[in-house]
Amino acid sequence: MSKLLLVDDDAELSSMLEQILTKEGFQLTLAADGEAGLERALSGSYDLILLDVMLPGIDGFQLLQRLRQQARNTPVLMLTARGDDDDRVAGLELGADDYLPKPFYPKELVARVKALLRRTPHTSVRPEKSEYAGFVIDPSQNEARCDDTQLDLTPTEFDILRTLVRAHGEVVSKDALSVAALGRSLAPFDRSLDVHISNIRKKLPTDPERIQTVRGRGYRIIQFA
Amino acid sequence: MRWYHSLSLRLLFLFWVLLFAVASSGYLLALWFSKPIAPSPVPEAVQSSLAPLLSDVNTFRSLTPGRLLAGDYRVAASLAPSGQERLQLDRSLSASHRRLLLSQLEADKPQQIPIGNRMLIGPFKLDGYSLLVTRPITAEEREQQVVSEQQTQRVQTLALLIGSLAIAILLGAWLVMPLRRLTHATREIAKGSEKPELKRLPKRNDELGELARALATTAHDLAVSRDAQRRLLSDVSHELRSPLARMQVALMLSQDDDDGTDREQHLGQLGRDLERLSTIIERILSLSRLENGLVNLQTEAVDVRELVSQLVKDLGYVDPQHGQRLQVHDSDDWPVIDSDPELLRLVLENLIRNALQYTDDAIEISCQALPESYTVFVRDHGQGVPEDQLEQLFTPFYRADPSRNHKAGVGLGMALSLRAAAVLGGYVDARNHPDGGLEVAVTLTRST
Repeated sequence: MSKLLLVDDDAELSSMLEQILTKEGFQLTLAADGEAGLERALSGSYDLILLDVMLPGIDGFQLLQRLRQQARNTPVLMLTARGDDDDRVAGLELGADDYLPKPFYPKELVARVKALLRRTPHTSVRPEKSEYAGFVIDPSQNEARCDDTQLDLTPTEFDILRTLVRAHGEVVSKDALSVAALGRSLAPFDRSLDVHISNIRKKLPTDPERIQTVRGRGYRIIQFA
Repeated sequence: MRWYHSLSLRLLFLFWVLLFAVASSGYLLALWFSKPIAPSPVPEAVQSSLAPLLSDVNTFRSLTPGRLLAGDYRVAASLAPSGQERLQLDRSLSASHRRLLLSQLEADKPQQIPIGNRMLIGPFKLDGYSLLVTRPITAEEREQQVVSEQQTQRVQTLALLIGSLAIAILLGAWLVMPLRRLTHATREIAKGSEKPELKRLPKRNDELGELARALATTAHDLAVSRDAQRRLLSDVSHELRSPLARMQVALMLSQDDDDGTDREQHLGQLGRDLERLSTIIERILSLSRLENGLVNLQTEAVDVRELVSQLVKDLGYVDPQHGQRLQVHDSDDWPVIDSDPELLRLVLENLIRNALQYTDDAIEISCQALPESYTVFVRDHGQGVPEDQLEQLFTPFYRADPSRNHKAGVGLGMALSLRAAAVLGGYVDARNHPDGGLEVAVTLTRST
């Protein structure tokens, strides 16, 4: 049974979501403010954290930042009632795996949660090492290297990079990457994949452009001299 | 701005200085480049033809200006070693060439120099007496003079051309460059810049500096108001999305609720959120109407005590417990004023509701009437508000209690009161009462 942590100060919404997610077979823990949320996120072992942005005390972004600083790579799904795109993408830039704008259909939430959780067994299906252009991905060790430097990636970033390395320089469409890493197709105007790619590039020791954007088609890894 | 900072004065002064500079540079250049009419030695022929006259001392002494000599020579000036009329000058020449005549008299040896259409020759000296003579200029000499004058004219024209070019460049640097910078800055503002690049323009003391400063202020104000609008939009969107999110979840729960045991609860949730949504929308619209001056004031005589009593009765009707907590100071001097009763009620109702929602104890409503104005106080006995947050109380969607307590209002009450009071010609301010609790005061001027 997967353990989820829901950090949201909207008590009515939280209790209703608890009913729904419990019914779906998840074990849910609630936290009503940022401090309590961070404490639980750091102490307990959760398979997924559902995180609201607007929280009393430390907000969702700060919570996420501190969580990632402690090198906790628990998948995080941001729930945001803010309207603008910048706010949505801001969470991804800080290392969230996916976001869901409020209001959402509860079924969509359940689907996203399942998609993010599904990756772990999905990874173990083909645990063989893959190598290309200086990248070495070892799913059995959960280890990614670039030019012999270990990369500290979130699970989503790991899955994206693994998919690109396996393609051996072939272009992988954005949609295929999204399915592989987020377990879902991309919605129109969805910039989440681009943000994840940009996060991976920032983590590469040299030559971030070796993950190349192929306009209108997707991404690929190129051999860098 | 002081009068001497005025751009018109500066322009006038600049033009004057530049024109003067060009004119004088033309003159100076002409002097510099034109072949100066230098004195030349007196030819032998002249010396010899005059020699008989000038060798005799008596004749020499008797020669006075104006006197005609042989061969069209005429005496121009004479200088005696002593006597009453030591210096004598030809009147017609001394009018315009006095200085030249005098310097010529002082010269060491005879020389000739053209003045007008005559040639000045001298000085001839004998026994302490000096003498200058003139003769008509020859055709050859005349031609030489014309050539020299033409040359002078050409130099002057050249100097004027170069000078006017210099004026244009100076004007460009001084006047046109700032204008271009201002244009550029305006474009930057249009693109949304808060601090347009104005370089040192705002430091100027003249009209252009004033314009630059006004532009900088405008850019800042625009940015502030744009940020406020963006924040309001973002807040509005957040406030609308939260109840919508709950409604969607509640709807699904009630649909999946096969045995119908919790249906009541889910429908209750839906109803609460619907009500909340419509309250938010209605209040945002009211706020917008008040801010944009779309409210028609219906002024009539309003008994403020009567209005407050009615308000207390209405609130008590909805929730008797609320009614008990409201204490109106009846002994105060409550005025009857000309105002819009609906709007005044809106101001007071929002303040009282706020006090009811955020505190649990008694709420005092009192009045203080002054000759010019009157103030209604709404004071609660809660914990008060941190001093640094008092101002923010009137910001839309600001809540003093950061945890989202959904029983509390939608966060627009204070903002509405403030705007409505402003429309009535008054203001609302909040302070922490010295004896504890928050005190909000509505001050309105008495209409005359």
